[in-house]
Amino acid sequence: MSTSTPAVDHLLAAADREWRALGIHRRDRATLAADLRSELDAATADGIDPAELLGTDPTEFALRIAEEAGVQRIPPRYGQVLGVASAGAVLSLIVGYILVIGLHQAFVAAFDLPRDVRVPVWLAAGVFYGGVAAVVVAGAVLAVRIALRDVPRIRHTATRMTLLLPPTIAAAIAAAAAFGWALDFPLTPLAIGTEAAIVLAAFFAATALARRKSVTAAG
Amino acid sequence: MRHMVVKGEAAEAADRQAQLLRGCLDMCLLALLAAEPAHGYQLVRRLDKAGFGTVSYGTVYPLITRLHRLGLVANAMQPSPNGPPRKVYRLTDTGHDRLSLWREQWTQFASVVNETLAVRPLKSGDDHEHVDAGR
Repeated sequence: MSTSTPAVDHLLAAADREWRALGIHRRDRATLAADLRSELDAATADGIDPAELLGTDPTEFALRIAEEAGVQRIPPRYGQVLGVASAGAVLSLIVGYILVIGLHQAFVAAFDLPRDVRVPVWLAAGVFYGGVAAVVVAGAVLAVRIALRDVPRIRHTATRMTLLLPPTIAAAIAAAAAFGWALDFPLTPLAIGTEAAIVLAAFFAATALARRKSVTAAG
Repeated sequence: MRHMVVKGEAAEAADRQAQLLRGCLDMCLLALLAAEPAHGYQLVRRLDKAGFGTVSYGTVYPLITRLHRLGLVANAMQPSPNGPPRKVYRLTDTGHDRLSLWREQWTQFASVVNETLAVRPLKSGDDHEHVDAGR
């Protein structure tokens, strides 16, 4: 239990956020925080305002301590992760499309569906969008896992992407469908572009969040 | 207008002082700790007392962290009559050796700088090209 004042706790929380964002290992964060806490507690006991001690920008202070302490950092590399995930998703969509076209022709040739079989629209839409989403997630995760295999904590990132992307994309597709439904599904470029943007934004956000979580939870 | 000029000069002087300090603050901290162990913000006061003006804790503490990482200072918790125990920093043997080296280097460097600054500027007219009177 902390015996520090709320002001010290507040400053340490701000510093810890900065250290997490820098991708500093949990053990190192704990050491840096313990050292700083003892200094701030002592200053408070001597009647010095800890906020005044650290200056106007505690995050800059936290950054400088981390640099001077020489602690190991895990670079987040958001741009690289997002780029590779997007490339993987696009590539898997192209491969998936070619496969579906090929399989469709093979199935049509192999099976003859009775004329009275009616597939509900919601099921067809669910299978279509679910299939596309699954292909996108698989492509993005595999691309990140393989192409960035030498990047620190990339396995954790890929695992978190596997967990985060499916529900996020499902929610985004639902949001895009709701948007289209609200406007009576117009086929204008603006409406279609907005729906695509909703899904893309969700994809990027979930991927970035997966990377951030895996970096900040290091250790 | 004059007020603004004075303010600008003061800011420039402060910048210059900060630049000069940047190159020697670690050495000065070692010297202060060699004289007497101290805790973090106590060093800030000592720097002020030594005549450096107000050097922020945000400058001093990261520097101590570096000196600690380099093994030049060590710390130990010491009980305090008021409040929690203090982390007091002291010089290690390596720190003493390094301080001797830096001190020697600084003395030589400062003497070169002083000699350079002591050179009197030429009087106006002295920089004219020498004319050979025999020609």
